[in-house]
Amino acid sequence: MKSRFLLALLTVTLAGTAAAQVKVEDAIKFRQSGYGFMAWNMGRIKMNVEGGQYNKDEVIKAANAIQAIANSGMGALYVPGSDKGTGWEATRAKPGIFTDKEKVGKLAMAFNKEANEMAKVAATGDAAAVGAQLGKLGGTCKGCHDDYKAKK
Amino acid sequence: MNRQRIRLWDLPIRLFHWLLVVAVIAAVVSGQLGGSLIDLHGKIGLAIVGLIAFRLVWGFAGSTYARFAQFFPTPAKIRGYLKGEWRGLGHNPLGGLSVFSLIFLLTVQVTSGLFANDDIAFVGPLFELIDKSLSDRLSGIHHLFSNVLIALVVLHVGAVIFHGHFKKDNLVKPMLTGWKEGATGEPARGGGIIALVVALVIAGLAVYGASGIWLPEPPPPPAVETPSW
Repeated sequence: MKSRFLLALLTVTLAGTAAAQVKVEDAIKFRQSGYGFMAWNMGRIKMNVEGGQYNKDEVIKAANAIQAIANSGMGALYVPGSDKGTGWEATRAKPGIFTDKEKVGKLAMAFNKEANEMAKVAATGDAAAVGAQLGKLGGTCKGCHDDYKAKK
Repeated sequence: MNRQRIRLWDLPIRLFHWLLVVAVIAAVVSGQLGGSLIDLHGKIGLAIVGLIAFRLVWGFAGSTYARFAQFFPTPAKIRGYLKGEWRGLGHNPLGGLSVFSLIFLLTVQVTSGLFANDDIAFVGPLFELIDKSLSDRLSGIHHLFSNVLIALVVLHVGAVIFHGHFKKDNLVKPMLTGWKEGATGEPARGGGIIALVVALVIAGLAVYGASGIWLPEPPPPPAVETPSW
């Protein structure tokens, strides 16, 4: 009886969590934080590829961080109404990101694929391959920025 | 073989022109494709800094038809040209307008590009000198003006084709050979070796300044210890 109650409670809680939408302001903040954090890690990888000495562990950490964020389902942060608003700063997401579902989905999948690949390549410690993969990964960032990130 | 011809474009201006063609095409393509090419895009931008700096000096120190004063397009000159009253050599007033516009746009592009960032992993060589929000604005200008520049290049090429096909005036050949066939008038003078050296030195200095290698090295890995987690 007791376990049944707990199970019911758990189910309700989980369902509630799953359905709970992030508030618009928070959603924009989380988005900006995610992209900003990835930018830090992109820069770390680049520094290791370009700078004199390559630190395999640093690159692995950075690549894993990008991979984790890429696979975190950030799409959930594009809640209705968050096409306008201010998180850490005014959102630069263009309206199209909410309406061009198919195209944006493809761009996002391309990014996830390259982010996963980045983590794999980082694990090998091959600096040249990491540099090449960083270019590919950056290309998928640009793919979305070009059409869906407002210029200042 | 006694056809009239005159020396119109000096060798440096022709080299400048065709190097700029190659550089601008490479810059546009690498900028549009991005990815790994963005670093190359930055280097091409530095080359364009050098080319533009050279052209600016050559506009004063070059030979006759390379000089800005020779083809500076005043409204009166443009009106005269449109009425068909222009009989000069070198850049006609509309062509002169095109030259000044292209130089201006390229200057905007290289200047904004030096401070730009792509919000991914690339920053221009002078990015460190300004704050991020200004860099974002300049990056926006860089994107916007790239389209204006492309449009102007298309117009420029269109005008050259127009002159070739409809006015039977081949503008490409003189830009390759330096000679204008079937023309009489003052041959190009000036723009000697000293002027060339001065222009090249200034161009070199401009590239050096734009490259940011003179910027103080970021302080060697700061002594601050950050937590290892």
